[in-house]
Amino acid sequence: MRRAFVVARRVVKQLLRNHRFLALSIIAPLVIVYFLKLFFDTLPEGFDVARYAVPVAAFLVHFLAFILCAISLVQERTAGTMERMFVNGFRRVEVIGGYLLGFLGLATFQAVAVLAEAIWLFDLDYAGGTLATLFAVVWLLAIASVMLGIFVSTFARHEGQVFPFVPLIILPSVFLSGMLMDVDELPAWAEWLGHVFPLFWANDVIQEVIKPEGNLGDVTFSFAVLAGYGVVLLLLASLTLREAE
Amino acid sequence: MYAVEVSGLVRRYGRAEALGGVDLRVPEGTVFGLVGPNGAGKTTLIKALVGALRPSEGEVRVLGLRPFGDRARLRRQIGYMPQAPALYEDLSARDNVGFFGAAHRTPDLRKRTDEVLELTNLSDRAGDPVHKLSGGMKRRVSLACALVHQPRMLFLDEPTAAVDPLLRNRLWKTFRGLAGEGVTLFISTHLMDEAMLCDRVSILLGGRVIVSDDPRRILQKGRARLEVRRNGESEERTIGGRPEDLAAALRPYGLESGVEAVSVEEDSLEKVVLSIIGEERR
Repeated sequence: MRRAFVVARRVVKQLLRNHRFLALSIIAPLVIVYFLKLFFDTLPEGFDVARYAVPVAAFLVHFLAFILCAISLVQERTAGTMERMFVNGFRRVEVIGGYLLGFLGLATFQAVAVLAEAIWLFDLDYAGGTLATLFAVVWLLAIASVMLGIFVSTFARHEGQVFPFVPLIILPSVFLSGMLMDVDELPAWAEWLGHVFPLFWANDVIQEVIKPEGNLGDVTFSFAVLAGYGVVLLLLASLTLREAE
Repeated sequence: MYAVEVSGLVRRYGRAEALGGVDLRVPEGTVFGLVGPNGAGKTTLIKALVGALRPSEGEVRVLGLRPFGDRARLRRQIGYMPQAPALYEDLSARDNVGFFGAAHRTPDLRKRTDEVLELTNLSDRAGDPVHKLSGGMKRRVSLACALVHQPRMLFLDEPTAAVDPLLRNRLWKTFRGLAGEGVTLFISTHLMDEAMLCDRVSILLGGRVIVSDDPRRILQKGRARLEVRRNGESEERTIGGRPEDLAAALRPYGLESGVEAVSVEEDSLEKVVLSIIGEERR
């Protein structure tokens, strides 16, 4: 796995050198959370802001980690550096591992920044344990998102082909994951379909732990499924990422 | 010992056949040129040799190893410079070279990176991001990435395409220098003057090798136009391209019989290759 760290170091170096990309991927979610605050301020008094604030923050990290990772990997393919890596002896597990490690650094930073902003702007008051759980959920979701980005990138020949996956995978999860409404109110098939998206399981844990009487023990299964997503998508990505044409 | 041995190599993309049964042998320590027009299958063949593409049929051995079966052992011994620069544009030349060097556990990587940047004449711009470099410089960075781990064999896919004559000359000096150190070079090109710089060339057409020989011998398959001016009159003849053909054509004249000037215009390698391709297509 030494070479996974070589890839990770290079990915981090690239992210740090690309100031515009880095600024956008950190500032954009912060600005969107602020817009969300402006929108919620227009709603009638007594509206349950907490129910939406953290899930939306989680969604932003999910979306950005997915799209940035997918596009970076597709760029590797179009530029020919992916082929060059494999000819130079890198294995696909090392490339996937390196990308995961590299993008996880960015996703961790995004998760901390977006969660901190949401908690500060919406004046949310959570205990230390709840904050740690929320961070862990957003972080696990970020891992699943990076893996999803790697998996999806294997089906795209150029950057433009990544975008159709946004309405196909990311946007349905907004409506079917329970982030905007209770999934119990959806038709049975839509509720079932919602379970496919990692955001569903992340939202399930978030909604439980932010309740005053919430108990993490009640959502251990959802937590485990969220962690399992990373592993399953890692396996799928290592099956679909081809080392040779 | 052959550095490359290929027999019956076929690669299909659906119904289209990019390589239609290639047979090839490249002796170790030589500069080998793979010549052919665009779409002849040069890149496909190089990719099959470096293990970036699986053949549909046939046998491939590079340095006695199979590109897929002996993957780990082979990749340490070969360097590959693809047709596109294939570099990380946000990173510096030094970072790019260091990254590919690290893949091979290159000993004393920092020193070795400086050495190849020096060899490719990039020391002054080593810290600049690649996107700020000219096309020719990017090619040199790409070459440095292929050289950093001191491979025994180099595969260079059109390394001098869109490169100015001065840089091309410099790159070829580097290639010959590497060959002098015992590195085998497998270079694809569609430039015939470059083919003349190789020890041996194969002409690839429509996914098949149509000629494999020393480029000077291929040149002799062409014709030459002989013009002799004698006693104020010019005589023109077309003769064979071999030195023996010229000697035979001149023998009847003799130097004492009023010959004032003799000029010979040989077919260029390009013309010879084009005529071979033309015959093949007929």
